[in-house]
Amino acid sequence: MSFTLIRSAAGAALLAVLAAGCGTAVTAQHAAAGGHQHRAPIHATVTAPASPAIAPASPAIAPASPAIAPASPANPIPQGNGGDQDADNNGGPSDGDGNI
Amino acid sequence: MATATSSRRPRGRHLLAVLAALAAIAAAAVAFALPGRSPGRAFPPLLPAAAPAGWPHLTLPSGTAVLSYPPALRPVTGDTDAVSAAQVSPNKAFRLYLNATPRQGEEQPRGWAAFRLRLLTGDDAASARELAAAQGVKFRGGTGSCVIDQYVTRIGAHHYQEIACLVQGRTSASVIVAAAPAATWAQASPLLLQAVAAYQVR
Repeated sequence: MSFTLIRSAAGAALLAVLAAGCGTAVTAQHAAAGGHQHRAPIHATVTAPASPAIAPASPAIAPASPAIAPASPANPIPQGNGGDQDADNNGGPSDGDGNI
Repeated sequence: MATATSSRRPRGRHLLAVLAALAAIAAAAVAFALPGRSPGRAFPPLLPAAAPAGWPHLTLPSGTAVLSYPPALRPVTGDTDAVSAAQVSPNKAFRLYLNATPRQGEEQPRGWAAFRLRLLTGDDAASARELAAAQGVKFRGGTGSCVIDQYVTRIGAHHYQEIACLVQGRTSASVIVAAAPAATWAQASPLLLQAVAAYQVR
């Protein structure tokens, strides 16, 4: 009886470990796929700024997320000189407004 | 006595097995709860420093932040409560872009990177992806959360790379954006990061 219970517990442990491995593998695969879609050859330079104002200080570093934001906003600001008619509604870089 | 000992041993083994199973399940739960464990791109460290002599300044109309920009850039028009400077090519393409805007909506230091990407795709980008992010970044007069990302505009399909930081000062928060075409980010980023490091909030 107790031997059966031990076997059951061991089985559960094995399943849990296998499930963890699968989850990690799926995450890694997703990251690889996400990073591949828009990769540009100059990304690595982000990590090596050469400005005198930049020094090896230590802000809390968060890992990059490979997630790609969805391209289907529910209520997008009209482009082609829409919205507030600033540069980012005409193909220019996006400003820092809060979209309100 | 012997009987009591022999009945205690299986119970102990049983307990041990259950504990091992629980530990394994906990390990599995942790593995599932940390999906971003894959090594990410490192965020470039920023050391707040005054802008070099000769750099012009633009103060937000609210007076809550000062954007310093390299002399190669010129002020450009934008939102009425914001300031912007850019270097634009003769064919009207943006080479360097800086912008400072007061916090307007639900921007928060926590989750800033995700917010910024959602905002990009909700406004002017067909797609956007995060390259690196950091919290607790020191600024002159405050602390910020930053994200480095790339996006493609819906108009013209221009590929830009940017660093966008939500910076909290003593009395107010604002956003600084520094961007350049993704293809020239390597050359542009030292100057842009220097401008970000010189950003002053109040």
